[in-house]
Amino acid sequence: MFGSRRADSLVPNYVILLLLVVFTIGPLVVLVSNAFKSPQELIANPLGLPMRPTLANFPEAWRVGEFATTIGNSVFLVVTTVFVELVLTGLAAYSLARLNPPGQNGFMGYMLVGSTLPIWLFLVPLFYMWSKMGLTNTLYGLAILYVAFNAPFATFLLRAFMVQIPRDFEDAARVDGANEVSVFTRVILPLTWPGFLTVGLVVGLGVWNEFQTALIFTSNPKLFPVALSYYKFTSRFGRDWSLTSAAAFMMIAPVLILFLAMQRRFIAGLSQGGIKG
Amino acid sequence: MRKRLVVSVLLLLSLVLSACAPAVPTADDAAAEAEKAVISFWYNPPSGGEGATCYQTTVIDPFNEMSDTIFVDAVAQPEAWNATRTALAAGEGPDIVRTPGPSFVFELAQAGQLLPLDDYVASEGWDDLFVDWALSLGEVEGTIYSLADELETLVLYYNKTLFEQKGWNPPSTVAELYELAAVIAADDIVPFAHTNAEWRPANEWHVGEYFNHVAGPDRVYEALTGQIPWTHEDFVTSVELLDEAQQNGWFTGGLELYYTLTFDDVRGMLGRGEAAMNIEGTWVAADLDTLYFTEENGGMEWDWVPTPSQTGDPIYTIGMGNTSSINRNSEHPEAVAEFLSYSFSPESQAALLRNCGKAPAPVRLTDDAMEGVDPRIAAIFIDLAAASDSGGYGYTTWTFWPPKSDAYIYEEIERVWSGDITAEEYLQGLDELFQEEFSAGAIPPIPERQ
Amino acid sequence: MALNPEMASAAPVPPRTYVRSAAATRARFLRQKVVPWLFIAPILLVHFIVVIVPSVQSFYYSMTDWSGIGAAEWVGFENFQQMIFDDSSYRSALFNNVKWLLVFLTVPFAMALVAAQLLAPVRKGAMWFRTLLFIPYVLPSVINANIWRNLMSPRLGLGAQVAQWGENTLGTDQLAVFGTAFLGKTETALMSIAFVDNWHFWGFLMVLFLTAMQGISQDLYDAAKIDGANRLNEFIHVTIPGILPTLAFMMMLVAIWSFLVFDYVWILTQGGPANSSEVLGSYLYKQVFNRFEAGYASAIGLSMSMFAGIIIGIFALLRRRGWEI
Repeated sequence: MFGSRRADSLVPNYVILLLLVVFTIGPLVVLVSNAFKSPQELIANPLGLPMRPTLANFPEAWRVGEFATTIGNSVFLVVTTVFVELVLTGLAAYSLARLNPPGQNGFMGYMLVGSTLPIWLFLVPLFYMWSKMGLTNTLYGLAILYVAFNAPFATFLLRAFMVQIPRDFEDAARVDGANEVSVFTRVILPLTWPGFLTVGLVVGLGVWNEFQTALIFTSNPKLFPVALSYYKFTSRFGRDWSLTSAAAFMMIAPVLILFLAMQRRFIAGLSQGGIKG
Repeated sequence: MRKRLVVSVLLLLSLVLSACAPAVPTADDAAAEAEKAVISFWYNPPSGGEGATCYQTTVIDPFNEMSDTIFVDAVAQPEAWNATRTALAAGEGPDIVRTPGPSFVFELAQAGQLLPLDDYVASEGWDDLFVDWALSLGEVEGTIYSLADELETLVLYYNKTLFEQKGWNPPSTVAELYELAAVIAADDIVPFAHTNAEWRPANEWHVGEYFNHVAGPDRVYEALTGQIPWTHEDFVTSVELLDEAQQNGWFTGGLELYYTLTFDDVRGMLGRGEAAMNIEGTWVAADLDTLYFTEENGGMEWDWVPTPSQTGDPIYTIGMGNTSSINRNSEHPEAVAEFLSYSFSPESQAALLRNCGKAPAPVRLTDDAMEGVDPRIAAIFIDLAAASDSGGYGYTTWTFWPPKSDAYIYEEIERVWSGDITAEEYLQGLDELFQEEFSAGAIPPIPERQ
Repeated sequence: MALNPEMASAAPVPPRTYVRSAAATRARFLRQKVVPWLFIAPILLVHFIVVIVPSVQSFYYSMTDWSGIGAAEWVGFENFQQMIFDDSSYRSALFNNVKWLLVFLTVPFAMALVAAQLLAPVRKGAMWFRTLLFIPYVLPSVINANIWRNLMSPRLGLGAQVAQWGENTLGTDQLAVFGTAFLGKTETALMSIAFVDNWHFWGFLMVLFLTAMQGISQDLYDAAKIDGANRLNEFIHVTIPGILPTLAFMMMLVAIWSFLVFDYVWILTQGGPANSSEVLGSYLYKQVFNRFEAGYASAIGLSMSMFAGIIIGIFALLRRRGWEI
């Protein structure tokens, strides 16, 4: 069943992959179709496609969840976090992959250990510091937290992408007299673009979906992120699953659209990056 | 070519950044203009999204409209209590501090995070407003730090139509209750529509009811005041009886269902007559007609009786949904006190009961407070008030037990049900924790027995 | 493509002369020792302030009896003593983390490797497969968990419908097992949560592996073919070594994450029933917010980091032995 890269039959591959797709996407189809059911139909028909589809859940969920506010906040958080994250960890990853900083193993160990500290461990001291610095109840303050939380993962993944690039490319640039910064911007960055996309995607999604930190560090509804809109529907005595499904749909729709759009470039970047050698 | 792409992406980013950077919040703009004192207030949205708006429109909006000097900036936030605690630890937090119950106030008061309320009790007339025992619930070492809100109790709701069809009588003693439950189960109907899947602490509703109705409120009082340990045989009997009901599958048809079905599922079962009874709090009463005993579900009717007790005497366990205090760091304590007086007034409490189904605070309600309220629900509150005056009351765990013991009660009882530990071992562990907290003074004043 | 002159002058220019001089030595020192760290400094600073500074404070709190508010009372190693010797709940939570670790080091990796290998030669629809299989990873845990909570409902869920269909249509109760409330049984709760978490996670691994596989030179496959390798040999001798850095790195991350798992457990069962799905993360959370034992919670949190640190140590050792991780 391990199909090679030549002209063997790919039918078994397709069959197995299709089964995996059903397993993966089936539950989401249920969710989306539930968003178009009335509560009454949902009880009678919890898993099937909607027989009498309705759009009534959406405006209601939009209003109750205050999505108009939260989506804007989340977009801001995602864009800020991803931008700062990519710049800062891109620099660090480049240094780790190419510049041999003395004590780099120590730094990597530090980052790894840092990624093992659960937020609940240091939440109270962190909140104290953040409030003294005036960063609670600001989106910037929240974005800085997200940058820090995602730093180990982003640094390591970018480094892994950069390590794979043949050194010949850079050496050629260095022979041309380019300095480190221009080697980074002219050679490394274009070649690791897919890596940056991947990291940006992963970090951005993490921020879009995050609510636990936001619950603690913001107490102003004007600053709530989109995940809190959804969380409202699931709070402890929530009951309307069709409304909840509609809210879920509205929260994930932008993610899916963005992901589908980025996915093309992600793959295109891979094939043109010169990595395949 | 590629470089231009990078540059344009950066440009785009910076555009987006500047476009959607929200202005730094400066309280409420309207309030700032009028130079009102802004006081902040965080609370858990009671249910879904609607309960939150109901509170806002019933109390907060009218107050903000009425007052020329104060603006209440209310935030309905899931997990508000966790956020409040974290913020208080940093010397911040809302002006009005809400806790889940009197026993949670102790720690905050000890840490000096709350303002003593004694002066306001006199100046705002809260001693006349609140019933006597309720005000003293807010005491920590002789000083009042909090006002109790949402006077709750648990009763036995039952499907009256089903009972009439089957010729069953609502039980008043524990023995009758267990006899009936066996009959109901034999009829392939679920005796009790209970679940904890969406709210693990629901476990403690049952532990508390069994303590108070099997061992009895006098025993509970003795244990809460440190006279007897929790390992007393009457408590062992209580826990064993509760375990028996679980092992018989009387709660929703078995432990695995008790752990997974939603409140909506089991209350629906009650409404359709697939389940017969439900021992639960006043918080569910308002939903029973509107959501579960509906025409679509068969148009059956519900009613209630006091939770059956060993002796047959009605006992209403007293619970507080939450408490309100003033943050020590509040810049406008007088304004907070004024708002508290408004929101605890008999008029506001009656309106909250009518509009939102919220249980009233333990204040002296006016006679017309129950107007427009379902007579069955009104009867619960009237009987509860009578019981709290006459001594026919018990103690809910989340109100009178200190926080660690309380968490132990609902977390560890599951290990009794799973057969991990015995009732004795469970109570042994509870007693150790409780005595520790008792000697630290973390117990709210327990209303005495009469 | 002209360089931005400002950027070029901002960074130290490597010396063009090879005469040994004080200036040259200093410049080389700058280039080799300082510049690399200037690249690292910004993210290091942010991470240090946000994570390490408060964690050091928590280290202090782990030696105290502290409720999370107010004064902390110094108790030395009492918390650690209690945790190690007297706390059976801690031990069972830790054991669940180890089970989680074993499951996640095998199931998602096997699924991801097989799927990536199957997908690698596919041209038509490749992007769709990759995209669809990745989608659950991009969705928030609250939504994923709620979808599966409903699918696993013993009342309206998928399994319940199968069981009902078996009973009504086939007249057999052989299918009744599907109607089990998997999240409500102490025997199955933890594995059910792992199932949901893995459902959302494995596609991510698959895409990473696939990306790494596409970085393997075709020459290596051709050479293997010449040597007469079959497909399995190819997989073992070319593909696996080719993606080894990614594979090993993800194994390490998954192992670390296994000690930190919290989200799905908390949303689906909060550690229940009867602590059967309790993991260190949920136990820590309960100590902070239910029991108000922030001092003890700090000790638990540090122990979680320590276990993760052991994993890192193991991988560092392998790295030193010449593994390319």
